[in-house]
Amino acid sequence: MTFQELILALERFWANHGCLIVQPYNSEVGAGTFNPHTFLRAIGPEPWNVAYVEPSRRPTDGRYGENPNRLQQFHQYQVILKPSPLDIQDLYLESLRALGTDPSRHDIRFIEDDWESPTLGAWGLGWQVWLDGLEISQFTYFQQCGGLDCKPVSGELTYGLERIAMYLQDVDDVYELQWAPGIRYGDLYKRAEWEWSTYNFEQADIELQKRLFEEYEKQVAALLGLLDKRGKGGALRFGREPLERLILPAYDAVIKCSHYFNVLDARGAISVTERQRYIGRVRLLARAVAESWYSQREALGFPLSGTAAAAE
Amino acid sequence: MSSEFLLEIGTEELPSSFVRHALQSMKASAVELVGQARLETRALEMHTMGTPRRLALRIRGLAPSQPDRHETIMGPPWSAAFDPSGAPRKAAEGFAKKHGVDVTALRKQTTDKGDYVTVEVYEPGKPTHEVLATILPELCSRISFPKSMRWGTAEVTFGRPIHWIVSLLGDDVVDFEFANVRAARKTRGHRFLAPNELELDRATQYEEALAAAHVVVDVARRKERMMEALRHGANELGGVLQPDPFLADECVSLVEEPFVVPGSFDDAFLELPDAVVISVMRNHQRYFAVRESPGGPLLSSYLNVVNTALEPEIIAKGNDRVLRARLADARFFVEEDLKAPLSDRLRKLESVVFQSRLGTMGAKVRRLEANVRALAEQSGADVEACAAAARLCKADLETLIVYEFPELQGEMGRWYALREGIDASIADAIRDHYSPQGADDQVPRQPVGAIVAVADRIDTLVGCFGIGLVPSGSADPFALRRAALGIIRIALEGPIDVDLRELTAEAHGAYAKDASLAPAEEVCSALDEFFRGRIRAMLKDEHGADVLDACLGAWDGTSLRDLQARIEAVAEVRDAPEFETLAIAFKRAFNITKDSARGAIDPELLEAGAETTLARRFATVRDQIREATSERRYADALKLVAKELGAPIDRFFDDVFVMVENDAVRENRLRLLGEIADVVNGIAHFHQLATKLQGRDPSVPA
Repeated sequence: MTFQELILALERFWANHGCLIVQPYNSEVGAGTFNPHTFLRAIGPEPWNVAYVEPSRRPTDGRYGENPNRLQQFHQYQVILKPSPLDIQDLYLESLRALGTDPSRHDIRFIEDDWESPTLGAWGLGWQVWLDGLEISQFTYFQQCGGLDCKPVSGELTYGLERIAMYLQDVDDVYELQWAPGIRYGDLYKRAEWEWSTYNFEQADIELQKRLFEEYEKQVAALLGLLDKRGKGGALRFGREPLERLILPAYDAVIKCSHYFNVLDARGAISVTERQRYIGRVRLLARAVAESWYSQREALGFPLSGTAAAAE
Repeated sequence: MSSEFLLEIGTEELPSSFVRHALQSMKASAVELVGQARLETRALEMHTMGTPRRLALRIRGLAPSQPDRHETIMGPPWSAAFDPSGAPRKAAEGFAKKHGVDVTALRKQTTDKGDYVTVEVYEPGKPTHEVLATILPELCSRISFPKSMRWGTAEVTFGRPIHWIVSLLGDDVVDFEFANVRAARKTRGHRFLAPNELELDRATQYEEALAAAHVVVDVARRKERMMEALRHGANELGGVLQPDPFLADECVSLVEEPFVVPGSFDDAFLELPDAVVISVMRNHQRYFAVRESPGGPLLSSYLNVVNTALEPEIIAKGNDRVLRARLADARFFVEEDLKAPLSDRLRKLESVVFQSRLGTMGAKVRRLEANVRALAEQSGADVEACAAAARLCKADLETLIVYEFPELQGEMGRWYALREGIDASIADAIRDHYSPQGADDQVPRQPVGAIVAVADRIDTLVGCFGIGLVPSGSADPFALRRAALGIIRIALEGPIDVDLRELTAEAHGAYAKDASLAPAEEVCSALDEFFRGRIRAMLKDEHGADVLDACLGAWDGTSLRDLQARIEAVAEVRDAPEFETLAIAFKRAFNITKDSARGAIDPELLEAGAETTLARRFATVRDQIREATSERRYADALKLVAKELGAPIDRFFDDVFVMVENDAVRENRLRLLGEIADVVNGIAHFHQLATKLQGRDPSVPA
């Protein structure tokens, strides 16, 4: 099964199980969770079932194309089922069958792995899924998102596509994967890995990233009308009504901030104490977006409640 | 005949540690709730069982029903309840209604305080299944987990989502609902090997039915089977299992039925230190290592506890591949680390925070280097070796391999140091300075390691106490109690003595440039008290709290071995037959003289007989006792005291009245006793030792 056939099989499987098939986000994200199809839709009462590929960037994981397992950009297949159905594990195991893997012939285990994104103010409980000792997926029941309790709870499945493809194709080097007949993963990404590693570790302009971080941070506040002064108990205060806030552009700016922070981190430009401060700043912005999103959906009467689009 | 009760809660895969935790709380809550519901019989037996997918409770010996309840309940005064004509007032009606009876059922009872209304209440005991149905939802909600979660639209929280509940009393379902799941008789077998629903006819067939469905539900039984399979597996590989109790506890609740699949890796990876290979296997993959013989070299094989093993070759192949990549990563880290000597990493420690107000690890290392020099000089150890070990002891924190496997700190520092050709005594000290890590761990055996270990701990203690980070109650985030205990144990069991007072003062001085601490005097006295508390806690069970207090009282807070010598000496004489009377006599001497002035004894004023005998005998042995005390030959000193002064002081108290009218004679007498008390107190505070007989207090005239 080629890399692209793997993606197609998952798309087909989850489409058949009532998921909207949508596209990756067009900005730099560290994981499929950052895509607004997950981060924003996990908030509030509206049901939501969605699946998509997410090319995910982790600047510190870059290895100049020299390590057979580590990449600064890899591909996740992300599935959100909200509310999490009781048969979510069975659905997941069935999806493995769709990839030609019979779970009973292997050792499949659900190993505790709680997930937390400090920058998104999000966390959940769940597992990593092991297939014969190989971690092929992460499985999370979202408990909080942007600092808000998730009600109902979303179930998130994240497939590590490179890992699974290496397993299916029986290769030890990610660059040897067949993306499509005659085209290897290395043909597409080996040079890219070297360029991005060199950029992230050596050449990214530190002052530029810092400035961009700060400019986008201001932009978030402006687009949401976020006020400096907090309310009771540290509550966020906004100078704009929910429907006047530009939440999607603001969230885009949060993603930018998070990305510039990651580049600065890879570049070794952030000390331990500064690190915590940067994370706290992004978390505050994510929270402002999350609260705004909830208020706006509420003002709109939670339009997707009870829709067929979101439920099988 | 009582029936067996079974409760099983079927869940998605619980983390291994949750299973233990949940089963404990399940049992405790069941004991409490069953007791409150008065369902107990004498032979009540509760047993919990569990796997990652189920938590189960079996109760044997439940009473078939609650006992009936007869009770007389006292109500309002008769006069408030009935008017003089005997007609009921509101109070009577209210009381009757509350207890569900007619007013005519109320009775009069005469008491000391007058007549009162009473009612006889009789409540027939409810059948057990009815009572269980009411307490089971509560029992389920009381099961606790290290972390709980919500799922779907459910409002309850649990360790993982709940899928089914079995609740059977004998062969009947005890009906109740929890987390939107209705209790029934359907369970499930192994997720992959017996995926269909399984109906139980009765509670007693539970374990057997599950065993047939590939679930060994009893944790102890499952562990037994797993260990047996592991030993067998190791044997097949021609080796022995590397014991790992922590890993065994983890693995046993990662599976419902334990299978063991062996795997292997390239021999070339055995060039890595054993500790690295073992850490890679256990931390990342939860594999057991196998050695050629106990303590012998590692084999290039491992044992993997799995949940399903229909195709062991496929499983082994997959796991081998994962392990190969993991070991290759580890080898890469080690090779990268070897490109630069350990000393090159010191620069990086300058940017690692030790504690935000106490500065960086780089600064800590510089202080350690200063502190070990003083310690080494005192104990006659190799000063330069100690300084070198102190300088390098934290360097491996900046290596890639320790970043990946923090538990290899010290161990890898030693390995890299030996590779660089650094002297073995220094390399060993890099590893050993982390010891002892716990009560079961040994202290460093060589002086260099012991000295660095002491310096490291006192630096942390002085720093934290200096900024007010003092352990309180159960909160001890910097493990300061363990640090103090480590120093005490190193001095008492290891190769060097420790002078606590000097050590603390030196360590405080070393902070001068790095942090502003509370004044030395304050920190030293707080630590003196802290150490005394730790010593008492550590040794009181072995020697008795009174012996410790007696010795701590006489000890000046410097040499720990001096304290140890006192404790041993007192413990020794304590078993001697004459101890009791001796202790009583010295207690008296101390009590009577504690507020009186000391001074030279005037022989002219001594009364002939017991007083003169005591004074003369004391004069001849006083210097010997003092000499033995100052040379820390406390057992000798105490023997002298017992032999030379025992009988005379006893006779003295029998024959001589101390508190006479004549001022000069009395004061002289007190001076004699005072000096004796002081000399003996220099060894140990006898007045703090418990004695069986309480002596007559001579300060109170009869």
